[in-house]
Amino acid sequence: MPRRMRLFVLVCICTGSMYAQDLEGIEVHGFVTQGFLFSSNNNYLSMKSSDGSVQWTDGAVSVSDSLTDKLRVGIQLHMYQLGDLGGSNIQVDWASGDYRVTDHFGIRAGKVKTALGLFNDSQDVDAVFLWILLPQSIYQIDNKSFFLSHVGGEVYGELPLGRSAGKLQYRGYGGQANLDLNGGYVKQAADGGLVFTTPPGGKIYGGDLRWEAPLGGLTLGSSARVQALDGTSLAGSVHVPPTFISAEYAQFKKRKFYFAGEYRRFPLNTVVTIGPAVIPVPQDQRAWFAMGSYRLTEKFHAGSYYSHYINKALDTTQSANYSKDWVVSGRYDFNAYFYGKIEGHFVHGTGLGYYNSTNPTGLKPNSNMLAAKIGFSF
Amino acid sequence: MSKTRWLILLLGFIGCWSAASAQDVVLVANKSVQISEIRAADLRSIFMGAKTRFADGSHAVPVTLKGGPAHEVFLKHHIGESPDEFRAQWRKAVFTGQGAMPKAFDSESALIEYVAATPGALGYVSRISPQDKVKCLAAVK
Repeated sequence: MPRRMRLFVLVCICTGSMYAQDLEGIEVHGFVTQGFLFSSNNNYLSMKSSDGSVQWTDGAVSVSDSLTDKLRVGIQLHMYQLGDLGGSNIQVDWASGDYRVTDHFGIRAGKVKTALGLFNDSQDVDAVFLWILLPQSIYQIDNKSFFLSHVGGEVYGELPLGRSAGKLQYRGYGGQANLDLNGGYVKQAADGGLVFTTPPGGKIYGGDLRWEAPLGGLTLGSSARVQALDGTSLAGSVHVPPTFISAEYAQFKKRKFYFAGEYRRFPLNTVVTIGPAVIPVPQDQRAWFAMGSYRLTEKFHAGSYYSHYINKALDTTQSANYSKDWVVSGRYDFNAYFYGKIEGHFVHGTGLGYYNSTNPTGLKPNSNMLAAKIGFSF
Repeated sequence: MSKTRWLILLLGFIGCWSAASAQDVVLVANKSVQISEIRAADLRSIFMGAKTRFADGSHAVPVTLKGGPAHEVFLKHHIGESPDEFRAQWRKAVFTGQGAMPKAFDSESALIEYVAATPGALGYVSRISPQDKVKCLAAVK
């Protein structure tokens, strides 16, 4: 039995017998998903998707306990396989102590999820989204491990602004974030000749402000993150000076409708050194998406989004420097635990999600894709 | 028991019953909870995990039913979410390490038993009987 199937079956068996266990205050939750991807052209996300691929499995188990009214501790272990990425390594998704002094102020420390834009900290929790792939212009699934969490801490809270002004949620954080050795950035570097055996990383700090308007269902927000990164391999090194990443977003929920949009700018002045050669890799990534969905029945949910990415530092007429994706998606919840999803992608451009090693004969500029996923969460 | 006590008990029962019969649910709390009414916004915040304290500063422990008409009515009328959306919001909190899901019960009697025994507990049922050892809370705008 292939490794991904063993993982899926194992997690299903374990979690199926557990359900959301509460052992004297200890809570155990988990999820597992299995995906399928077929693409009309090119191999996407390091999968052999042009033949149809099921190399797409995700699973996580979290354990948490409230030690006092104010103090909660927990850990989440995560395992994923996405084509050549991920594998059998169990990662600590987050592991933290959370001390909530008041409803206006709390502290989390340890390995904590990082707030950035609408979905950054929850982008690996498939069960909460209609979409199989979140807009890849911003939430790139092959690089999610790097952005998802950091070792350090954060402060958070909610400030009421009065009955007519809504409320403000804030988060501020600092720490260290490392690349995933089995993730997309490291694989891309390896495809280019830089093989890292220790994860490149650097200091990060940033914050998120989110205003929940008194108009029911409207949220507006803004995030910022400053990120540096350094790494050394036998063949050379990579250096990214502290870089400012910004995100602005809005979301509106009303009855069965949901709308959201986000804009992100990610300018990078990466310098790669291979032997005596010092190679600047200029990037000015600008990305946005707009999405909408409607709950047709209690169990069926459908929606669509457009995701747009360009690298302004290079020639944006070249397909390698942009990625524009129209998406249609549907989700059916069989019950409170099981769900299935199906999604169509119409991708123009090859700026995101493609690897040389799985596309050795080059890339065609456009590709249509069909993705399907089943998931179980408790 | 004095006549006055009987009268108070009767009025409380009628109040709870009328709330239930108006296709709403009865908010029930542990008797240690000092407040007798709760703002709709606070109720929503407590059940969505944004608040952990009542208006008087005491710790709140929200509990839910696993499903059924009372659960659906409560979520629709007081929280403004469908059961699926409510579950998704909590899953998001749990899997991002930002919250612990409220304890959920298969039956109203089990929920009432837990609320009666747990300081700060707050839940909802379709109706209560006079012998239940919980207090009713009124939701106000």
